[in-house]
Amino acid sequence: MSDAASPVEFVEIDDSGLLLRGERDVVLDVTFGGRRIWSFWLQRDSTPGPHGGRQIAWPDSLLKYLDGHARVAIVEHLSGAVIYDADTQFGDATTAIEIVNSQGNPLGIDKSGRMAQTFDTRSAEHVAPLLDSIEEVLQALAGAGVEAFPAYGTLLGAVREGHLIGHDSDADLGYVSRHSHPVDVMRESFRLQRRLTEAGYQITRYSGIAFKVTVTEGDGSLRGLDVFGGFITEGHLYLMGEVGVPFSESWIFPLGTTTLEGRTLPAPALPEKLLEAMYGPGWTVPDPAFHFETPRTTLRRLNGWFRGTRVFRDSWDRYYSTRRKVLPEGAPSPLSAYVAESDPLVRAGSPRIVDLGCGRAGDALWFARQGARVTGFDFVPSASTAAQTAARDEGVDLTVEPLNLNEWRSVLGVGAQLAAVDGPCVVIADHVADALTAGARASLWRVASMALRQGGMLYVSAWLGGGDKRKMQRAVRLGQLAKELEAAGFTVVESERIDAIDDPGRRIGRIVAKWGEN
Amino acid sequence: MSIKQRATDVMIKALNRGPVAELTARIKDLEAEIQELRGQSLRLAELADIVEELLIPMAQRDQARIDAAVEAYTKSL
Repeated sequence: MSDAASPVEFVEIDDSGLLLRGERDVVLDVTFGGRRIWSFWLQRDSTPGPHGGRQIAWPDSLLKYLDGHARVAIVEHLSGAVIYDADTQFGDATTAIEIVNSQGNPLGIDKSGRMAQTFDTRSAEHVAPLLDSIEEVLQALAGAGVEAFPAYGTLLGAVREGHLIGHDSDADLGYVSRHSHPVDVMRESFRLQRRLTEAGYQITRYSGIAFKVTVTEGDGSLRGLDVFGGFITEGHLYLMGEVGVPFSESWIFPLGTTTLEGRTLPAPALPEKLLEAMYGPGWTVPDPAFHFETPRTTLRRLNGWFRGTRVFRDSWDRYYSTRRKVLPEGAPSPLSAYVAESDPLVRAGSPRIVDLGCGRAGDALWFARQGARVTGFDFVPSASTAAQTAARDEGVDLTVEPLNLNEWRSVLGVGAQLAAVDGPCVVIADHVADALTAGARASLWRVASMALRQGGMLYVSAWLGGGDKRKMQRAVRLGQLAKELEAAGFTVVESERIDAIDDPGRRIGRIVAKWGEN
Repeated sequence: MSIKQRATDVMIKALNRGPVAELTARIKDLEAEIQELRGQSLRLAELADIVEELLIPMAQRDQARIDAAVEAYTKSL
């Protein structure tokens, strides 16, 4: 067999992965029951194995399906050469392997390594709502003042094939700002967000110039389209989140058109220039296992200018993902019990309480049930879905609103909202200071200080170390917190170390402070 | 230890101590300082945005508009 005809030789397949032999780096597709599930590069994605072979582990997202039997094939993506094709047994199950979601829809591994409903499994009727959403959001962005177009894989599919790419699972949009300074580009992005919010869209911001627009489709299902901002400065195009290359504005403007699944959509004037910037000169050759290799200098620029507003967000989302619908137990926490017992406003009855970083809002609900008017704030407001529902059902005064301590717009906006309410209040931050970066902690003190301008006390608890480390908590020093509070204009009234009741080795710090001088 | 290995060790020691090590450390510091400066862009954009959005109703001295602007601002984040 000539090297050109089949550069890859099959050695072994088992529950952990594949062993193949070959010198060249080629893209290989793995199919189950004739359907592509995963693609990889033979050299790039493997490690040296026995008998001079290359060992490729099954991706984590595929492993959980591998129990039973299936017709598995390994096919060279470009030449179509079949390297392996046989009925294959995994694990002990005697059933056929089906790689589908809970509704029975076929899944494949997308560009991010996740199991998703990739486009190659979807009919024209299925992708029509996505195309409607693309057109709708492009129009909304145009109405808000930027000339957007399909970007990344969506542009690649349109220009190269006129279709959505089979191994892709979502659609991306992009625009190049007419501004040339990062500050102006971000201010424009903030304005876009306001305009789109006013138009009724739900926006999730990823960075200073990228966000997700959530569109409600005809059948009521929600679809998120990512919008990546970019700009040209000093003869270079920077486009979130991967591009930083020498570029001419005339390659973008005036926009031209491209065709995607039969629909005419706006596109850069010379889309091939942008595709080369995104995927390199090889963009014309399909690569279902493509990985971005963003140069360090581009990554540093994009990170430095635009990123940093979602620190720990993904971890918090994961942390709450299975708990948000369960009513929290264990309230009051030791800090809330202390507040209830000793704070003069609470003791006088019907206090206004601000719970910063309320999490699942167990304590906020506990205070509301006792007649307090409570506003909880959290990075993930949906974490308290169960408590908010309970409060509504019981008719008690609890609202939960978003607060992102990494974002100054959020900190100052919420601060202004709190400062506008008449009268003193009680501010609680229970195990928040021990879950933040130093910058976010400074924001925590700023919101608290803005809430307390008309009097009231701030109550803080934090883990100082010892005992079991709990998820998302990092030990802090009590003296450091007191110092930060004083620097932020607070007077520390009380600062104490307490042994945790449930874990005697665990040291907790409690600070009571008021804003302003004695 | 072979002569080659000893020569390599001597060279590594010299690199870790001499002007190359000093320059490497300075590059690291400079990179960190550049990132600190880049980070100001986001803060400046955020400050300019909130000041502009809240300053206008304040300059107009219209309490209802100020209240509405404060509420609308956080709703649009």
